[in-house]
Amino acid sequence: MDKSDIIARPNRLVWGGLLALALVAPALVGFDLYMIHVGITISFNVALATSLWMIWSLGVISFAHAGFMGIGAYASALVLTKLGLSMWYGLWIGAAVSALFAMLIAVPLMRTRAVYFFMASWAVGEVIKRNFAYFKDFFGGWDGVFDIKPPVLDLGFLQIDFANRIAYYYLALFFVSLTVWIIYRMNASRTGTIWWAIHENELLAQHTGINVFRQKVVCFTIACTLVGVIGALYAHYQTYISPKSFDIWKSEFALVHLIVGGLTTVGGPVAGAISLTMVDEALRATGYFRTIFFGVVLIASVLLLPGGLETVPARIRKLFNRNSQK
Amino acid sequence: MSDFLQMGLTGLSLGLMYALIAIGLTLIFGVMRIIQYAHGEMFMLGAFALYYWHAELGLPYWAGVAFSAGLIFCLGAVLQVVLFKPLQGKNILYSLAVSLGLVLIISGSGQLLFGTTTKGIPSAVSGGMLIGGAYLSYERIVISAVSIGLIIALWAFLRHSVTGFAIRAVAEDPQTAALQGIRTDRIHWIAFGIGSAMAAIAGCMMGTLLSIVPTMGFLATIKAFMIVIMGGLGSVIGALVGGLILGMIDSVITTTISGDIAIILSFVVIFLILVFRPSGLFGQNWD
Repeated sequence: MDKSDIIARPNRLVWGGLLALALVAPALVGFDLYMIHVGITISFNVALATSLWMIWSLGVISFAHAGFMGIGAYASALVLTKLGLSMWYGLWIGAAVSALFAMLIAVPLMRTRAVYFFMASWAVGEVIKRNFAYFKDFFGGWDGVFDIKPPVLDLGFLQIDFANRIAYYYLALFFVSLTVWIIYRMNASRTGTIWWAIHENELLAQHTGINVFRQKVVCFTIACTLVGVIGALYAHYQTYISPKSFDIWKSEFALVHLIVGGLTTVGGPVAGAISLTMVDEALRATGYFRTIFFGVVLIASVLLLPGGLETVPARIRKLFNRNSQK
Repeated sequence: MSDFLQMGLTGLSLGLMYALIAIGLTLIFGVMRIIQYAHGEMFMLGAFALYYWHAELGLPYWAGVAFSAGLIFCLGAVLQVVLFKPLQGKNILYSLAVSLGLVLIISGSGQLLFGTTTKGIPSAVSGGMLIGGAYLSYERIVISAVSIGLIIALWAFLRHSVTGFAIRAVAEDPQTAALQGIRTDRIHWIAFGIGSAMAAIAGCMMGTLLSIVPTMGFLATIKAFMIVIMGGLGSVIGALVGGLILGMIDSVITTTISGDIAIILSFVVIFLILVFRPSGLFGQNWD
């Protein structure tokens, strides 16, 4: 992959423009509560897809990703309902618990390779979900955990109640931008290059002196930590979580966002998550046809736009170049 | 004692049916190296084809099974040619995404066309017998016999027929197979069709034994993948052994402890198998 492409100036403009657009978006939609809900959903999906993409930089896709989001969510929710600590603690506790489990699981999980990794991680995700469902006294079973209050930020002179959706939108936007920025920087760093080296050729990477196993565990743990934070945010936004919120479909949709968006740059998952979440919401009115249309959009974009949305700028450029040569 | 016999017999018949679904999946993966996530939907469509043939139109049962298998064979072949052929040789994620789209389309339209109520297919045989205190219905015996027969037939087909040889050659090395004059495109849709038809027949059996809903495909996909991973992708023997293991876990643990634990335990077993044998019990190392 071409690193010089990532840090090019036009890309910075695009990222800045996207952030600015996200900042003024509530005003653009006239502070419509439903549209802001869509915005928050988009934020969560962007973070989920981007952190999944980080694992993809190792060359594998983890189907346990929604499960780790669930660990963060449950940890944060239980800290609130059982200990009475607000989300400001829950966020970090959720991240820490998610990181701990990710590290413990990654050690055996990273022994498996290629297609078997999908399946092993899928088993992990399913076991996490089923455990939430099975231990009824602690996790609330299939009914889930209720009454997860959003936090209040007390700055002394100013009190922000995040039960307000617009306030929560900006909170989510902040954490999602942070997540994307961290992943962007990690990917552009030496560590990111090492991960792509493992992606390209694991054996060769090992022979150049990279501790492949350790790098894999580190990458998986970081990605799961990030998604743990997002899980905690999700729990306090929905105020209700159940094992069903974190099942295989969530990981699969994150994968779909990734594939439709493109797999080689951070822009891919971001573009995929934003556009597909919008498509999904736009189809909501069609009821039963929603899933059917979504399936059609998915298949069509894979077959007709190989490489994903991230190749669109290059395609347009090529089109213009061809025209100017005439 | 009779309890254990009962559990064993139930587990065996369940395991054989699971194996039937999983063998189709493992055949598709082995030949094309694609993940067919909509395999369970073929299972579901097969069951509904028999339902409309036998329960709605009142046509004979076994002809219905054949009709359903033929129909799903054609559907599988068409899907392969239209959707999966362009993805040949690309990363496995693309086939996963396309088949995921298929799952959404098929199960979504299934709910629209067939309705969401639970339906049952009247069975072809009735009655049963007692073996050592365990009750065994003739229906289960017939279903197990059909499963065994089909598995043996597929095995013999792969071993001894020319097309079977060609399928195995393509699974082994597509390029060399093509150099020997095998038309790999043709083998691809044949293998996809056969795999889907096996799932459809399993769906007919399952639909007779239990009940059918348009959303049942997803669970079948999960079971099939669990089995295939356990046994090793691309291995027919592995799918059979994996199916039996899963059937036994389902039957024994569900009866003695609970259904939730059975599912958790089967995932733990899969995880452990993969950790200690990263390519499944009988699998090769795919990269």
